[in-house]
Amino acid sequence: MSLLEEISTLLQNGDDERVSELTRKAIDEELEPKEILDNGLIAGMNIIGEKFRNHEIFLPEVLLAARAMYAGMDLLKPLFLKEGMPSIGKVVLGTVQGDLHDIGKNLVGIMLKGAGFEIIDLGKDVPPEEFVNAAEREGAEIIGMSTLLTTTTPMMTKVIELLKERGLEGRIKTIVGGAPVTEDLAREIGASSYGYDAASAVERVKELVG
Amino acid sequence: MNRIVEFELDAILPSQEDVLLDQGIPDAASASDRIQALLTNALDSFARTVHPVGMISELDAEEFEPVFRGEGENAGDVLLERIYPRADNLALFALTMGEEVSRCIEELFAENEFAPGSILDSIASLAADSASEVFETDFFEELSGRGLVSADHFVLGYSPGYCGWHITGQKKLFEFLEPGKIGITLGESCLMTPLKSITGLLVSGKSEIHMFEPGFEYCRSCKHRSCQERLKRLSAHKPSTA
Repeated sequence: MSLLEEISTLLQNGDDERVSELTRKAIDEELEPKEILDNGLIAGMNIIGEKFRNHEIFLPEVLLAARAMYAGMDLLKPLFLKEGMPSIGKVVLGTVQGDLHDIGKNLVGIMLKGAGFEIIDLGKDVPPEEFVNAAEREGAEIIGMSTLLTTTTPMMTKVIELLKERGLEGRIKTIVGGAPVTEDLAREIGASSYGYDAASAVERVKELVG
Repeated sequence: MNRIVEFELDAILPSQEDVLLDQGIPDAASASDRIQALLTNALDSFARTVHPVGMISELDAEEFEPVFRGEGENAGDVLLERIYPRADNLALFALTMGEEVSRCIEELFAENEFAPGSILDSIASLAADSASEVFETDFFEELSGRGLVSADHFVLGYSPGYCGWHITGQKKLFEFLEPGKIGITLGESCLMTPLKSITGLLVSGKSEIHMFEPGFEYCRSCKHRSCQERLKRLSAHKPSTA
């Protein structure tokens, strides 16, 4: 088994200490950081994502793997200082204004990061303007919005309207999710896509940037 | 009846099976040793950080009416509107798991301890639900002691934000109950702090008043479907003929 395959396997086992150790070893052996990221860490998380979708593993195992991925990425980050961490897309993520529930949003962020996306996490209680400003400023392709409350779903509509007002609708796409949000509601408010859960959100975001 | 209650941990602590189910694990046997260990640790953390307290206050239908109307944003046909006027007794309640457990969950996520954070979050949510069931039972027993319920009575809780009762109903509920006394505050969007808090109305009446067909307009977009479990409980409730 190659060093990168070993990293991938250890990551799938959620062994953050060993992932950290072998990522350090790969760096010391002068493997390209992007190769370590793509063929070690992201490769491992992709398998985890697939197993999760197929119900072969459960949420805690995904989260343990994600922790191991973060441990490896922490070592790689300084090596990408000049050009920035490579990603397959940039996503601005947040819980909409008026809502403080962020567990769902955090899970989506963790899994998107694991799939190779760069995440700009605005946190919770995020005003519509902040979503749009951050996406413009960061050059993000996607805005992901989450809510747990029925009362705050109109905030998602405001973000989508703001994108239209600023002529950004075509360039910046939106995905919405959360307990009161359905595929129908997403369509009704003009969102580009809808994530039923964290795993499906990753697939939908991939389709949006694809 | 108007009192503040400190819940016993044993009365609200969810079973390991329920926590695992909430994490998407359908049977405990499917959980690895590592997940079991995480679960044990999370239950310990919960026991250390939870401060479960609630308050309950009886009121009559007339007093409840403005609380129910709230800001006038309820759905056209609200389930509770069909139920509460037929109730024999009503009480408003508020309960919380306290601030410390919410803070602990946030800290775990901030430290990349996602799995323990997620499991602790499940435990706290399930415990809050259990605490509202404790209130249902306590209210029934209280009324029973006063001879106000018979064997075919049932107490169920209904919360703003569900089944057509708009969440802005929280504002009037807070004015009436004043849950600030137990550390619960209401934000502009009617969201409570601490997050793991529940408010609602306890309705005591004959089982049949709680029965309904989930065919309301808002039922179509509902993903909770917890009403099915409640209806099952009602159907299983066979009053003694003694």
